[in-house]
Amino acid sequence: MDMEFLTELNELAITDHQRLTGGRMGRRKLEDDDDNNNSKEFKSKNLQAERRRRQKLSDRLLTLRSLVPIITNMNKATIIDDAITYIQELQKTSQVLSEQLLEMEGSSEESVMPMKLEIAVAQHDMKKCGIKEEVKVSNIDGNKFLIKIIVEKKRGCFTQLIEAMNYLGFELSETNVTTFSGAMLFSSCVHGKYGDTLMVEHIEELLSEMMRSMKTSSQSAIELGNTN
Amino acid sequence: MKVYEESGCFDPHSLTDCQELMGLPGATPTNCHNSLEDTLNVSSYNHHHHEDASAALDMEPHQHYLLDNTTNNNSHLIPYLTQDLPYDQSHWESFNVVPSSTSPEAAAAAAAAGAYTPTPDLLGLFHLPRCSFLPNPSISFETTPGSPSVVYDPLFHLNLPPQPPVFRELLQSLPHGYTVPADDKDAAGIGGLYHDGDNGIIQFTRDISMAGRAKDRDKAGKTTKHFATERERRVHLNDKYQALRTMVPSPTKNDRASIVGDAIDYIKELLGTVRELQLLVDKKRCGQDRSKRLKTEDAASAADAGDVEFKSLGDPDQCYNTSLRSSWLQRKSKDSEVDVRIVDDEVTIKLVQRKKINCLLFVSRLLDELQLDLLHVAGGNIGDYYSFLFNTKIYEGSSVYACAIANKLIDVVDRQYAAAPPTSSTSL
Repeated sequence: MDMEFLTELNELAITDHQRLTGGRMGRRKLEDDDDNNNSKEFKSKNLQAERRRRQKLSDRLLTLRSLVPIITNMNKATIIDDAITYIQELQKTSQVLSEQLLEMEGSSEESVMPMKLEIAVAQHDMKKCGIKEEVKVSNIDGNKFLIKIIVEKKRGCFTQLIEAMNYLGFELSETNVTTFSGAMLFSSCVHGKYGDTLMVEHIEELLSEMMRSMKTSSQSAIELGNTN
Repeated sequence: MKVYEESGCFDPHSLTDCQELMGLPGATPTNCHNSLEDTLNVSSYNHHHHEDASAALDMEPHQHYLLDNTTNNNSHLIPYLTQDLPYDQSHWESFNVVPSSTSPEAAAAAAAAGAYTPTPDLLGLFHLPRCSFLPNPSISFETTPGSPSVVYDPLFHLNLPPQPPVFRELLQSLPHGYTVPADDKDAAGIGGLYHDGDNGIIQFTRDISMAGRAKDRDKAGKTTKHFATERERRVHLNDKYQALRTMVPSPTKNDRASIVGDAIDYIKELLGTVRELQLLVDKKRCGQDRSKRLKTEDAASAADAGDVEFKSLGDPDQCYNTSLRSSWLQRKSKDSEVDVRIVDDEVTIKLVQRKKINCLLFVSRLLDELQLDLLHVAGGNIGDYYSFLFNTKIYEGSSVYACAIANKLIDVVDRQYAAAPPTSSTSL
């Protein structure tokens, strides 16, 4: 309610003097101040803030007006209306365009690099740089471990790694993943959510196992893809 | 028919009386034909669907005047009416009026008689002239408190091109000079503004009864408002601000300056998205054209060897669309923040989760789905937050755009919050 009053004041362009004496705001202030007519400090402290607030709103409305290309009237109400209309137009346009894009995507004849080729490239790069696949786990403190995995980079392998971590009941407190010449380095500081502490070797074994299964499953997927 | 029995306000059998009352000149068949051919674009209506009884009541006289088989004048209208039924009957609760006569004098003297359409997106179909209509005491035009008050659009009968959607969604219109019998002030009362969530269309209502008659028109063809009280004007203005607020995806504070600020940011974002999408569409189209042309050229070159190659060099389909795509979006929700930046085919995503729920799995699944190749990930737990940075590359041939990524990401993360049990956030 407060804001309404003050905004209306702005729009009616009442002068300061009027505000002091007869305006709504002035009256309120006077009432608050035990009918003291000379509450200058109270009023001026607020006056500046109020002026600034109105100025801020007015500037922003001006900016809004400058953005919207179709404006009918130049008063405060219609600028809001026009902005709403314009936003709706833009939303509609973007929806139409995105549908168009989806359509084109569906009927697109561009070739996406087949997965097999990707993997072949990755393997080749890795060998060139002499990077080897690796799983290393070290115990930091109690249930905390530092896990470092180097694996051949494939589509979705990060997801599989995270799934493995979840499966082992690890919560990743700090993760870092980098990719370099076909290899992915996964390094993470984890701590076990579940009560029972796992041994380092045990974890390493489990992880290596998972990675092997990841590899074979992806290979079989490629075979299937090729035969289709 | 059922409705009339209930309401008792209109007797279909006394059609001739109604006709007189309505003041319509005797409609000649030829008149009707022409008018229908020119302007009729009506959808079906359904007696059985009248959730808003008052609105249905408003339209009963028209409907039955026109479609009642007993009327000689109008029996021929029915084939026309049934022809133009693009929509399923079930969509309609009441339908717009179809006047039987559009003789110039009738039109000139006409007041708007419109329709209450609960599904405003179909309103664009209507390009109907107006018929004159006098209030019949036996027909009640009550507006219940629940229904919006009526609006008069004096220009509608001129069949102007569609006004901005906001004003196209005008609801009911009243005949010229007719005032709603406002027995209770609130019913015909203060204009309200509400947002139809289903199809996102804002409907403005105007306060006619307070104001009285048809208003002056400004140059753009919109009615100027005349509020009886200053308070109504403020309420109306506040409603508009709220409407603006509902349109932005992540509103912050609820004061006017912030609302306008959010709107400014959102408009800029929308402009960027539209530009990005346009770029992607152009690039795709370019690629498609080129591949098509190559194919036809291949086929042609099999026939005659050398000439085609020369042609293809100076080919106009050389798409000089080498502009880099760059876009930047931010989305904030209650518990998370997403920042997506795309430069050409590299996407950088920053994600901050204010609660300690580990969504890394879901995020990475989403990234796979969006065909983004992870190059680098860094992040983890910082105090109460989870913060991640993803550097990814868009796979060749995919056309994702910034807005989609940001929205989906925020969606996935928020869904995890909803799904997660509340106790997990307190556990350390």
